Amino acid sequence: MFTQIALGTMEQGLMYAIMVLGVYLTFRILDYADLSVDGSFTLGAATATSLIVGGTDPWIATGMAFIAGTLAGLFTGILHTKFKITPLLSGILTMTALYSINLRVMGRANISLLGSRTIFSDFAKLPFMEEYGVLVLSLGSVLLIGAVIYFFLQTELGLALRATGDNELMIRSLGVNTDLMKILGLGLSNGLVAFAGSYVAQKLEFADASMGIGMIIAGLASVIIGEVLVGTSSIGRAILAVICGAVLYRAIIAVVLQLGLEATDLKLITSFIVIIALVSPTLRKKIASWSAGISGKEAQ
Amino acid sequence: MLNVHEVLKTFNRGTVNQKIALNKVSLELLPNDFVTVIGSNGAGKSTLLNAIAGNFMVDSGEISIEGMQITRLPAHKRADLISRVFQDPLSGTAASMTIEENLIMAFRRGKGRRLRRAIGTKERDLFRIELEKLSLGLENRLTNKVSLLSGGQRQALTLLMATLQKPKLLLLDEHTAALDPKTAEKVLELTCGVTEQQQLTTLMITHNLDHALTFGNRTIMMHEGRVILDIKGIERSNMTISRLLEMFEKASGSHMNTDRMILA
Repeated sequence: MFTQIALGTMEQGLMYAIMVLGVYLTFRILDYADLSVDGSFTLGAATATSLIVGGTDPWIATGMAFIAGTLAGLFTGILHTKFKITPLLSGILTMTALYSINLRVMGRANISLLGSRTIFSDFAKLPFMEEYGVLVLSLGSVLLIGAVIYFFLQTELGLALRATGDNELMIRSLGVNTDLMKILGLGLSNGLVAFAGSYVAQKLEFADASMGIGMIIAGLASVIIGEVLVGTSSIGRAILAVICGAVLYRAIIAVVLQLGLEATDLKLITSFIVIIALVSPTLRKKIASWSAGISGKEAQ
Repeated sequence: MLNVHEVLKTFNRGTVNQKIALNKVSLELLPNDFVTVIGSNGAGKSTLLNAIAGNFMVDSGEISIEGMQITRLPAHKRADLISRVFQDPLSGTAASMTIEENLIMAFRRGKGRRLRRAIGTKERDLFRIELEKLSLGLENRLTNKVSLLSGGQRQALTLLMATLQKPKLLLLDEHTAALDPKTAEKVLELTCGVTEQQQLTTLMITHNLDHALTFGNRTIMMHEGRVILDIKGIERSNMTISRLLEMFEKASGSHMNTDRMILA
């Protein structure tokens, strides 16, 4: 029983880690809170499942999910950079538009993949992969994507992307088109989110029009948890932190569910995790100055 | 070299806050000119530099460098011609990135950004040699994040970044004003060294009238969006700070804001 839950949590955590890597690219690298994530996660699931049901090879369908997500991200980026719409509003506009698009893509509110071929059913046919196939495939994908991002962020293009989030004025004066960098970052990020959405849908053998709701908050929670526990002293460490944070977040959710809370309470809990993480630095400072004040009085 | 012709720029046009920042200003720089720019607050000094750098589009007039029209080019497309050091030491570097990462970005100024590993041993060796010239000990801290450096160190690094690839024009916007006097002298010394060695054409805004007359070969004074004084050669070497102030008052019909000016 326990090992079953642990395995399931691990598998889910690794799949969501792909999504969280995407969120990391916008939230931390570009310093852009991108809400389109809620829509593009579902878009990935919707694209992959409807293609698979329609008879497309699941591996190609998964790749198409990445492309669909990238397009959604490009749209957000163009809204923000070319039409000067604020980051939050650009994301909300894309997210809202995607809700209708996702229903169009699926043709109905949900799709079941029961009995269809998926990347996981294909992978399970390989030797020794019957039991741990999902885990191995998810882990392999996360490590590969993490490594690609790690090397990408140290290329000339990657440095320009990071500098765009750090000091836009400076990198523009060094000849980088920062609008293009933002569009690129958002595209890549949403591509990864949709890619993760297609993994989750194929694992659950199910896609639903509302499965992406709250994804951005879950992503932020994972990024923050990882950063607090693993640290961000270098790019490699930050990427590792993001992956660990995603798995840990799933573990926390699993524990909370085991304690008897309803699945419908999850969003509330997730919001609380993010609030605590965001508030704790200021709170800690306040407590420190407060206790310093007390000890100061005692000294007198 | 640089030719600014009758450039007009109005901020908040059509509102009560309308302000003519550049009033058909014209300025011509010869190759290797090192021009110091003075003037009271709101005279249009920084606006002029921003217009040349392309941070905004001008309303009318023309700007060209070595005969090449740049009036309508966005800032990032002028980067191969112009480099810049700002007043705020924080604004010239990316704090969360390492010294060598900042340097390689400047090394690729105005060039395309490729999908290949940015820093190799060749670049690292070059950066060590260049950083040694600053004699701040930064050559041993290549992989430190810039956020760990002091304001003066960051400004020296920014200056190095601005001149790592020789620009056609170097713009200095009061780049020592936010530093303590000793560090400011050091950064100015580095500035002179590099402009001389690379034979750079330079435009430097300063609030220090002494610096305005001792550095460079030419001094201009701005007031209400125009150049009201332009001196070089004998006329400049005979100039004193008190006469400069006097001329300002005569030319503009008002008193210079001496609180802000450093008369040292």
